[in-house]
Amino acid sequence: MELSYWWILPLAAAAVGCAAWLSIRRRPQKVRHIAHGERLTALPAYQHALRQYRTRLVLAAVLGAVFLAATATAAARPTHRSTVQPEIRNRDIVLCLDVSGSMTSTDAAIAAVFQKLAGEFDGERIGMVIFDSSSVQLFPLTDDYHYATEQLTQAKDALDSGAGSFFDGTWNGEGSSLIGDGLASCVQSFPDTADGSPDPRRSRSVVLATDNFLSGEPVFTLEEAGALAISKNVKVHALNPGDLDYGDQPDQPGVQLRATAERTGGTYFTLDSPEAVPGIVQKVQETEATSYRAAPQAVVADTPAWPLGIALLAGTGMLVLGWRLDP
Amino acid sequence: MPGLLRRVKSKMFIFAHRRTLTLLDGEYGSVFKGRSLDFDELRAYVPGDEVRDIDWKATARHGSPLVKRYVAVRRHSVLLLVDAGRTMAAQALSGEPKKDIAVHAAGVLGYLASRHGDNVGLLQGDTVASTYIPPRQGEEHLERLLQEIDAIAVDSPASAIAEQLDYALKYLKGRLLIVVIADEFMPDPRAEALMRRLRARHEVLWLTIRDADLALETGGRSQDSTDVGTGWGIPAALAADATVRAAYATAMLHRGQQRDAIFRRLGIAEEQTTGSEDVLPAVFALLEKHRSGIRAARSAGKGGRSAG
Repeated sequence: MELSYWWILPLAAAAVGCAAWLSIRRRPQKVRHIAHGERLTALPAYQHALRQYRTRLVLAAVLGAVFLAATATAAARPTHRSTVQPEIRNRDIVLCLDVSGSMTSTDAAIAAVFQKLAGEFDGERIGMVIFDSSSVQLFPLTDDYHYATEQLTQAKDALDSGAGSFFDGTWNGEGSSLIGDGLASCVQSFPDTADGSPDPRRSRSVVLATDNFLSGEPVFTLEEAGALAISKNVKVHALNPGDLDYGDQPDQPGVQLRATAERTGGTYFTLDSPEAVPGIVQKVQETEATSYRAAPQAVVADTPAWPLGIALLAGTGMLVLGWRLDP
Repeated sequence: MPGLLRRVKSKMFIFAHRRTLTLLDGEYGSVFKGRSLDFDELRAYVPGDEVRDIDWKATARHGSPLVKRYVAVRRHSVLLLVDAGRTMAAQALSGEPKKDIAVHAAGVLGYLASRHGDNVGLLQGDTVASTYIPPRQGEEHLERLLQEIDAIAVDSPASAIAEQLDYALKYLKGRLLIVVIADEFMPDPRAEALMRRLRARHEVLWLTIRDADLALETGGRSQDSTDVGTGWGIPAALAADATVRAAYATAMLHRGQQRDAIFRRLGIAEEQTTGSEDVLPAVFALLEKHRSGIRAARSAGKGGRSAG
């Protein structure tokens, strides 16, 4: 707390001092000379009234002093100086949803999880890509959460009904459920800087929801797509709706997915895992290395509220007292 | 030097009709004139004369009332015993300084006395000193007495009328007509004893100047009060407080009754005046009261004797 015009305070003190001096000098007013004042002053009623009167006077003096001090302080413009270090959110997340036939039973649930994810993230850019044999960008990276939520709600409704134009453009490739291609598309949907290298100041995450049941001949295998993700500095967080692996053989789809995800530095969750959403959110937000704070800024704001509030209270008290003191 | 006596006289003639003044003269005469058995003269009756002084035979012969005059036993001396403490510089009930009223009352009494050829003296004082000016005749002397009384100021010493009563008892010999001019003084046991002794030795009349109302209702601009005795102030806001005023009125009523009882017990005629306009009627009433008191005492004495 500091004062913009600190010199008002000594000025006000001097003014109060002058006023007090003048009022003391003007003291010899016309008074009634009376005798035997004790006939009145000895009365208990008078003593009682005198005590009340004194209390009221003291209270009025205190309130007056508080009022003067508060108004003088308000006149001196109290300001609050604070340093603000605005945090720049710089995480990009692409939600990557496999809409192949094997996923129809769980896609609606995944969309709900995505909705929840979109609600949890704060300040990040979110984009969404759906893919089957070819991929479609549902909405690009955006921080317009309202729009993102709207799109996710639409996606959820379409996935619930399983029909409509929502899936248009996802069957243009050969085969179905080309996970590697889908992941590659998702990785590609992060914007690059002018020289083609990823922007080092922004972290990149892909939340890939797939069961990794491949049917067809993809352009990119999952491993190649993972390598692409690594080269583009993208972390892949896999979300498997149905981990139906038999054992830990490396050719099992769940194990492959986990391996790919963890190679990129991401994580692997099954959909029914209770820690899926908070886990992904935490992992994404842990990419602190790429979040940075802007230069500290000094912010000076007037804070006249409390001195004026005190003055208002004291003034009200004085008015009430004045009304009571005036016979 | 402004003529205080002249001012007193002019005030007397402004506030009183001629008739009243004549009445006052007669009243004074019948109170203070001593009677002897030596017949002096017959003169026309003036209102205020004792009806029993009327010479009915002479009146029947003459056609208009005539009163008998006797040669006075001796020349009377009137002593004005005035409280000269600083409380007398304070306000009276009328708002004037009490000393102004004292000057006026002393002037009226002194003037009446000097018209009757009596001597007028002054005993005044405060806690520190008592000043005695022996009774003498003449208006110059009276003027001097009034100047003495007029010199009371707010910074004078405090009042102590008992000291002056004591002084009168100790040093003044011979029967005097003492008119005490004081404010609403409440005699304590010592003062009461002094008053009783004074009453036994002299003729005592007591003229009280009413004190200012301390618990005033604020009419328009209210003024704070300062006690001349203690220097303490009384805020106008407190003096105007309804409960305080009620309590004060009750206390004052009680006090007045107590004072009345004391004066009645002592057999001293006491009358109150609120301001200088009220002095003449008050003096008249005081003389009347004193006369009737004497008569009552005399008749009581006679009755007692006849009964015994």
